[in-house]
Amino acid sequence: MATPTPIITLPRLAAALPAFLAAFIWLIVMLPSPALATVNTAEQDPLDSFMWPVYRERFLGDAPVVFDERVIVSAPSFAEDSGQVPIELDARGLAANGEPITDIIAWVDLNPIPRLFHYSPMSHGLAKLSLNIRLEQASAVRVAVKQGDTWHVGGTYIEAEGGGCTTPGIAGADNDWENTFGELQGRLFATESEQRLRVRLSHPMDSGLIPSLPAFYVQSFELLDQQGQKVAALDIEASVSANPTLGLHMRPSAEGYVIGARDNNGNRFSIGLQP
Amino acid sequence: MKTRLFASIAALLSTPLAASEPVMFCERPLTAQPIAENTWMVEGLREELSTSNCGHIGNQAFIATPNGTILIDSGSSPRFGETLKTLIAQHTSHPVRWVLNTHHHPDHFFGNAAFDEAEHLTLASTRALMARDREALIDNVERLTGRSLARSHIALPDTIEAGEVTLGSYPLTLYAMRGHSGGDLVIMDHATEVLFLGDMGFYQRAAATAHSPGLQQWQEELNDLLGLNARIAVPGHGPSAPSNTVLEQTAHYLAWLDQRLGNAASEGLGANHILAVEIPDAFNTIALTEYEFTRSVMQLYPRYEARLLWGTPQ
Repeated sequence: MATPTPIITLPRLAAALPAFLAAFIWLIVMLPSPALATVNTAEQDPLDSFMWPVYRERFLGDAPVVFDERVIVSAPSFAEDSGQVPIELDARGLAANGEPITDIIAWVDLNPIPRLFHYSPMSHGLAKLSLNIRLEQASAVRVAVKQGDTWHVGGTYIEAEGGGCTTPGIAGADNDWENTFGELQGRLFATESEQRLRVRLSHPMDSGLIPSLPAFYVQSFELLDQQGQKVAALDIEASVSANPTLGLHMRPSAEGYVIGARDNNGNRFSIGLQP
Repeated sequence: MKTRLFASIAALLSTPLAASEPVMFCERPLTAQPIAENTWMVEGLREELSTSNCGHIGNQAFIATPNGTILIDSGSSPRFGETLKTLIAQHTSHPVRWVLNTHHHPDHFFGNAAFDEAEHLTLASTRALMARDREALIDNVERLTGRSLARSHIALPDTIEAGEVTLGSYPLTLYAMRGHSGGDLVIMDHATEVLFLGDMGFYQRAAATAHSPGLQQWQEELNDLLGLNARIAVPGHGPSAPSNTVLEQTAHYLAWLDQRLGNAASEGLGANHILAVEIPDAFNTIALTEYEFTRSVMQLYPRYEARLLWGTPQ
């Protein structure tokens, strides 16, 4: 009877070691890098919206993405008037440490025009902004803040139904822009740490989605210093409510700011605000 | 004439029928609480319209008089109106001859159809608002309660002028106000010293402000109503209570809301700053405070900004 010989013996293992190592290194090198990246980038959408992967790819591309609680999006839990839903973004907690914030993008997952705005704080804007939006139906609302090469994403969920004695057809019929079209109003409130600007532009913000009503909406706001230098910029889409009302938060400036706006028909509007 | 004769005979013969078996609506017993002589109220649930309450969220009241019963508000559907009619018959043998609608919101006049032999009356201002909002309000009630309404049965009442009126032989004083909805009928019964507020008064249920022309006007009118020194008030939502208690709670809440909105608008803040404030304990015991507060901020804030920030006359 022959002595049973174990197939794996220490000497054989030792001999095979270089081959194992080579295979391991090959694996590390050849693994597609995004697969490794997912470990740290919180792929699981906290709002569990099926549109997240689509818009992540469309708006944020290949850049690294993290869900970040320092990107605070405030909104009422439901929309009383779906044409005017106030939202506020505050990412100053994120801005407080790390590299400067370069871009802030917001969208509504289930709106026909999902994108809301692209804000570039540039040299003078703080990472805080408020405005009213349109909400087609209950949806996640997202804000992505770019710091360095990473997008930090926050969001909230808004239900879309008002109460029983609300009359959307009437409450929403806001035609006063016809008499006051193009009126740009603004106020500046100065504190030690910031200048808060409240701005309202009388404009229908027609999306072009309603038959026989062509698209007619404000596309951009810009903030200039007194030398005419652009110091912050905000591009908006027609998912922003009629008569856009903005809350802007700027670094203190002794001379205040000039705010300019332009619509898709080439109309230009402007106002200067001093502290 | 015939009806009247019949009514007086009925008055002689009748004592209120005993409540033989409970009247059910939406799988709950519907009950009428006596609040004064020949006067009852039916309290709605302190909720928003929903599938689980079938729309029974507003109060109704009725006064049995020798010439027929006066009903104040009729609930949010003809089907509710039918149930209410059965309930009223358990308390008085006098059929409803007059329905007074306090304002144009659906939970106060959509039940009128069940009382087709009665006169339906409201202020001219209220009727105009009913005509304006009828379709949208029917849609809302159907959407929120998940039940379809017989649309053609939701008719508009006739009009009546404010002042001293006599229904049959029963005197009432009617006040035309605007604070809650733009057309609010308030009814004072001097015989019993009961004040029927409609939604000018909310008690233990937060005030809804969707159609208020202004919280300041509403507060001024509440102040006028305090001057009537009624004994008991029936609010549009919530239980009845001593009149001053009801009027003061509504007024305190409105004053607080008015101040929050005014302060934020004067400082150039966004609506979400107001929503973030803590609701005082005094109002936290009131049903739906957070919900109605959220709605009010969204409904009213643009007007406060127009007045206090942009200087636009409203």
